[in-house]
Amino acid sequence: MATAPDFETYCQQLFDHKTAAGKPEVLKGYRVLSCTQYILGPSCASYLAELGAEVIKIEAPRRGEPMRHTTPFNEPLLYPLSRWVPEAGTGLGFFGANPNEEFVSLDFHRPEARQAMLELAAKSDVMVQNYRPGTFDRWGIGYQHMSKVNPRLVYQWLGGFGGWGPGRVRASYDILGQAMGGAFGITGEAADRGGTPAKHTIWLADYWGGMMAATTILAALYWRDTVSGEGTFIEYSQVHGVTRMLESALPLYGRYGIRRERWGNWDTELCVHGIIQCGKSSYPDSKNPQEAEVGYILVSAHTDEDFKKLCDVIGKKDLATTYAKHDERVKAENQGPIYDALEVWAKDKTKEDVAKLLDKAGINNQPVWNAKEVSEHPHWKLRGAVQWIDDPTYGDLHHQGPAFKMSETPPRIKWALKPVGADNERVYGRLLGWTKEKLAKMEEAEVI
Amino acid sequence: MIKQGLVLTCTKCSTKNFLDPYPFWNFSGNTKCAGCDTLYAVTFVKGQQVSGPTVSSGKADLLPGYAEDKNGAGITGEGKIRPAPQSRPDPFTGQQKQVTKSLRGKPLSGSRLKKEDLVGSRAKFIADLHKV
Amino acid sequence: MASEPFPKHKVLSWPAVPIPTPDEVYAGMTDQAKEYPLSLEAQLRQSENFKKPECLTRVRVLDVSKGMIIGNWCSSMLSELGADTIKCEPPAGDPLRWQTPFGRKEYMFKDAETGEPIGLHFLHEMRNKQSITLDLEKPEGRELLKKLVVHFDVLIENYPPGQFDEWGIGYRQLKEINPRLVYAWVGQKGQWGPSKDKPGNLDPTAQAACGFVHGTGLPKEFGGRPTRSAMWMADHVGGTATAMGILAALIYRDKVSGKGQFVEGTAAEGVIRILDYNWAWYGFDGSIRPRYGNWDLAINIYAVNPCKDGYFMVGGGHDRLWYRIWRTVGQTRADLEDEILDDKSLRMVVARLPHLKQVKTYTVLADWQKDFSRADAMRELLAQQVASGGVNYIDEVAEDPHFKYRGHVDQFEDRLYGKVLYGTTPFLAHKAPGRLKWIGRPLGYDNEEIYLKLLGLGPGDVAGLKKRGVV
Repeated sequence: MATAPDFETYCQQLFDHKTAAGKPEVLKGYRVLSCTQYILGPSCASYLAELGAEVIKIEAPRRGEPMRHTTPFNEPLLYPLSRWVPEAGTGLGFFGANPNEEFVSLDFHRPEARQAMLELAAKSDVMVQNYRPGTFDRWGIGYQHMSKVNPRLVYQWLGGFGGWGPGRVRASYDILGQAMGGAFGITGEAADRGGTPAKHTIWLADYWGGMMAATTILAALYWRDTVSGEGTFIEYSQVHGVTRMLESALPLYGRYGIRRERWGNWDTELCVHGIIQCGKSSYPDSKNPQEAEVGYILVSAHTDEDFKKLCDVIGKKDLATTYAKHDERVKAENQGPIYDALEVWAKDKTKEDVAKLLDKAGINNQPVWNAKEVSEHPHWKLRGAVQWIDDPTYGDLHHQGPAFKMSETPPRIKWALKPVGADNERVYGRLLGWTKEKLAKMEEAEVI
Repeated sequence: MIKQGLVLTCTKCSTKNFLDPYPFWNFSGNTKCAGCDTLYAVTFVKGQQVSGPTVSSGKADLLPGYAEDKNGAGITGEGKIRPAPQSRPDPFTGQQKQVTKSLRGKPLSGSRLKKEDLVGSRAKFIADLHKV
Repeated sequence: MASEPFPKHKVLSWPAVPIPTPDEVYAGMTDQAKEYPLSLEAQLRQSENFKKPECLTRVRVLDVSKGMIIGNWCSSMLSELGADTIKCEPPAGDPLRWQTPFGRKEYMFKDAETGEPIGLHFLHEMRNKQSITLDLEKPEGRELLKKLVVHFDVLIENYPPGQFDEWGIGYRQLKEINPRLVYAWVGQKGQWGPSKDKPGNLDPTAQAACGFVHGTGLPKEFGGRPTRSAMWMADHVGGTATAMGILAALIYRDKVSGKGQFVEGTAAEGVIRILDYNWAWYGFDGSIRPRYGNWDLAINIYAVNPCKDGYFMVGGGHDRLWYRIWRTVGQTRADLEDEILDDKSLRMVVARLPHLKQVKTYTVLADWQKDFSRADAMRELLAQQVASGGVNYIDEVAEDPHFKYRGHVDQFEDRLYGKVLYGTTPFLAHKAPGRLKWIGRPLGYDNEEIYLKLLGLGPGDVAGLKKRGVV
């Protein structure tokens, strides 16, 4: 027997994303209906698609859902939007929330649609939808209707505020979920340092909310398939999710009435454990303002030992004496002088210069990388965190990898997205037995 | 008459200067009309104009985020308004970009198509790539 | 540890304003209109949770992670859904247990039995978990772990890459002992690869390494700088992602293979997955996504801007809402409404996206907002059904009538820790919802129960282990 490989080689082989296609998929044979728009709902279904579920995304005929028409500054688009509208494209806003799915179109307002939906529900495992609460019930395709034709169906509703309670009729977006849920108000530089509350740049409440909902769906499927045999209705409110994230803020307020405030790029619990500015750009000659900007780096030296080393590196031995104990360093009034001293030291350095000096001293650090630095970093490329894919519809696309790795049944990216209604024939023909004539009729009537 | 508030209309050239909320919300100092370079001293506290705009001298502390002349045409350019955030060397146009190749030079369906360019729901040139 | 009395602070009375009753919430509605929300309430109310089963009632989870919230968060996802979850800490405790904002010990809670302080961040993620101690630095501790894992479905660890393997308790070894074990490693950047985790790497390492920090905060042109999340957000995202992986592995084990597997979740890759179009845009034309503060690169209006008493969000990307927003503005400021509606270049949705158009839009909107408090602005805009709302501070989150009514925030009367205000599980379901059973446990509180129950060790054996410093 050959000697066992070292652990790192072993892991690299085990989790290599290039071998994923040769391994089985967890959710093979599970069918998911995704009647979703924007990000929260679509992303939820897409995590299941990465695990191998057959996700059927159902959109409005011809022009699809609104997120297809969302792209940064209206510039990058992928063509065609659909075979009916080839001159228009799908925006990158749609990207990342819909991989591996099959795309059909259906106009829910038409009576024919209800029949089709119930027939699809009868042979599906999961239904995900994020229309306004009660809308699908009005259309006769709510949980009460679908669970009658399929009691094993896991029916997930997701949205901003939930379908009941005083705020149930309010529309929501990711940014509103962040704002009202509490994450927005505590993020950002403190007011006395000239800061304002800050949005988490990603549609965090949407994308992570979708992940939370997908987690519950998996748990519900596990319960169905190993215990009960029953489906269920699940409701996920995105603002509820954001509030769940608030760490110590609620118990602290609840007992002492202390309101957590913004603390910028530093850490409330550990010091030194914060992001500082380095005065020099890593790419001073770049014409791209994103690169010409000065650098930033996370410096993490919160243990007494590391802090002492850090003070040696920056030549501030006095700090090491004054703030020798973590309980002293971490005090609100002491963090400012420490980080200010670090920024003074880093003023004539790039983030790479700082990283090198800290690495040499054995101090943890992490330069703040931009999208290009992440995309080009060998670590992320090797791990498949970002990867070029040969998309059958759109060609050469740069795509994020799945959010986690599995040794035996890895999630994977097969294609990024497809045009509206691209799989109409395949899905309606195979699952509902529609003939060519019926398909043509439905298409002409713009039911699909 | 000068309009009070974050939209500063120049007394001399009627240019509307948009003093965008994040930098100007709490601000005291000189800003400059993007139309005629007249300096105005203004003080904002919580978005409320508490003093100014009065014609001033010296140099501008903060330029407007954007401006339009009296006919509604945008005024842009270095020294006139603050630069816009960019993701590339060239500024955002707001126009749909037309590309046929990805960053690394491989075919990418990133430009407008006509009915006759399609095979099913995808561009013919992409479909051709996958022909055996 | 010496038992001290509870801190002398009075527990804040919560709620300050009573929770609205259903009659108040649905006042003025017809019986027919009320029927749907009331039927949802009947299915989903958290007060009904204990009448229902739990999804993961057959799953037992051992969380041996420490010092980093990702592992705790991951196991919280499972413990909320009903998994029998045991947090296994070093004899000195998970360092997180003792962490408290700005080192303020007076913020920590104490339990009624031992009087041992506990940091609130840790407590919030100790929900439904029992605490045992085990020293994995000692060979005897590692032998005990091997005996323990036989009884578990899931193990979660976050030790430095390869540490468990070196100790003989890594995936390769444990799968021989318990082939059904789902073994999850969690961390910041990974246990393999050129930039793999170093001992002591903690969030926001992942936030900085994945492009999130670079993209968050005001742009330089607005006077801003890259900004981290106030929370260990990447750990939350990565922890949720790993929980997904664990559940998927359990499904596969119980339906197909009968075997466990190795799951790896990192905080950074969780966030890379959800950094929407950053990667596609870079591949499209080399664009490096810029920070855009509290505005959005792809939607106008969709932003938070300052207002009279704080910060306020308005959203309306398409025409219907766009005109409703300006009509609302026009009720008090016709000049501002005209400013926008007279501008022909703002007629098309996509024409409003270029940066300079966003500057104009939000300057005009902010000039209206400056005279409105968050509550007043919200009332005006909600009357027009425009998605809008203030940036809530924590006290406002705790008192929001909607959140209180639905139990997003609730006060739990814990047997050990007294009244604790906390963020409830968002896993609401008709049949098998998530729930809170207890808020936390002091260090090693469950040693005797667990070691007896799972390993058959009597109180004397545990005392011996304690003496040798193994537990």
